[in-house]
Amino acid sequence: MKKLLLAVLLCVPTLSLADMVVIAHPSAADISEDEISRLYMGRAGSLMPVNLPDGNPLRDHFEQELLGRSPAQMKAYWSRLVFTGKGRPPVEVATSAEKIDFIAANPNSIGYIPASDVTDQVKVIATIAQ
Amino acid sequence: MVSKIKQLSLGVLLALTATAVHADIRFNGFASIKAGSTLSSSDSLYGYDKEVDFKNESLFALQVQADLADRLSVTAQLMGRGENDFNAEFEWAYLTYELNSQTRINAGRLRTPFYRYSDFMDVGYAYDWARVPNSVYNLDFNNLEGVSLVRFGQLGTVDSTIQLIFGSYNGETNITPAPADVSIDRVAGATWELMQGNFSARLAYLTGKLTMVDQDGELTGLLGLLEQSGFAETAHQIRIEDASSTFMGLALGYDNGSLVLGGEIVRSKVKDTVIPTQNGYYVSAGYRINSYTPFISFESRDNDGKAEIYQTLGSGNPFRPAVEGVVESFTIKRDTWNIGSRYDFHPSAALKVQFSSQKDKVSDQRDQLVTVGVDLVF
Repeated sequence: MKKLLLAVLLCVPTLSLADMVVIAHPSAADISEDEISRLYMGRAGSLMPVNLPDGNPLRDHFEQELLGRSPAQMKAYWSRLVFTGKGRPPVEVATSAEKIDFIAANPNSIGYIPASDVTDQVKVIATIAQ
Repeated sequence: MVSKIKQLSLGVLLALTATAVHADIRFNGFASIKAGSTLSSSDSLYGYDKEVDFKNESLFALQVQADLADRLSVTAQLMGRGENDFNAEFEWAYLTYELNSQTRINAGRLRTPFYRYSDFMDVGYAYDWARVPNSVYNLDFNNLEGVSLVRFGQLGTVDSTIQLIFGSYNGETNITPAPADVSIDRVAGATWELMQGNFSARLAYLTGKLTMVDQDGELTGLLGLLEQSGFAETAHQIRIEDASSTFMGLALGYDNGSLVLGGEIVRSKVKDTVIPTQNGYYVSAGYRINSYTPFISFESRDNDGKAEIYQTLGSGNPFRPAVEGVVESFTIKRDTWNIGSRYDFHPSAALKVQFSSQKDKVSDQRDQLVTVGVDLVF
């Protein structure tokens, strides 16, 4: 676990934090970081957030930066909702490329990806400030 | 009403199996494996004694959730507790209908939302302690059959969650301390949770009609004798039958990612019965250092038996010792210190070590307990 954490920490700087963006269907409007945060915490909103798998460094980084929680804290947070009928975690796809395909096909969904992965299938609706 | 609820539970299960072919079905689960031992052979606490015990607080749970079409889903949670020899029971079984993205209705067997951690008190992974503070979390009836409405919202920058719940409960508990059948009818309650940034607060208020009947008939027999002997008023002051009950809880929390503070205070009353006003609170502080979260907490419980019930009998009254025994069995005064740590050694598992020292101020006895355990979610 320590090695994994270390690996995550080492990866983060190379991702270049300012380069993460939130994408949506081309027809979507811009939304605030607060709104994105609420969506990824399962607290209302009409959009469907799309996540990456457990242990993905980009996901860990996104959750730490925007939601202010470590992977273990996120896991504990969701276990409070999942087992009590109060909410469910976002759907997960394996890669940024799959996320782009998913969002291009689902007008009400959003997701975060590295800015360098953006294609013209989707629209950037927010940039995650460092 | 009871049979209707049973039919509903059955309906939930049938719905689950009938749609298994085409519904989106998800499995989740959690488990706790805990071992505990008291420090001395004269101590006993939370079901542990000097012999190391791996069973007492261990549990396994599996949850199945099936999404049906049109915002309807069914969830069943099967849990086996070590204290019941891991015999699995449906702890939760309910339908969920999402009215909209902010409002959901659950119907079936649900958790009664008395406390801040009621909903996930069995999911050890969701909190840092080895167990929820017993001075506050001490009602035997955690579940009910009924319906609940949960609504998420925002008040300016404050996140708000309101839950309304209605239902009833039938089960077993202990009084005086013999086993007793207990029912709570017309349970109605509301909880309101507010979160802003690092701060959170929760209010709970529930009411119901409480009936308790001891299974061995000893208390019931005593009440009958009192009535036949001209002390009907005393019997009336003791009997727990369709008694108006209220529960109030307030919880506050602070979590800035490193420092974790929390506290909760509860009070419950059962009108015109032997059950006195029950008071409990805890305060807890922890600090996350990478994967470790050391914590310390203090909890207290303070229930004064209703001495006026036996004092009106006069010192020579032959019933007085028995009545006094019953009344004073409800006097509970305990302070407990807990110190321990959570260690997130794996993405889905936490190791916890906790030392608890409880002072019973009625018997003037101190009991000390060490618990080591692993909590998992999957």
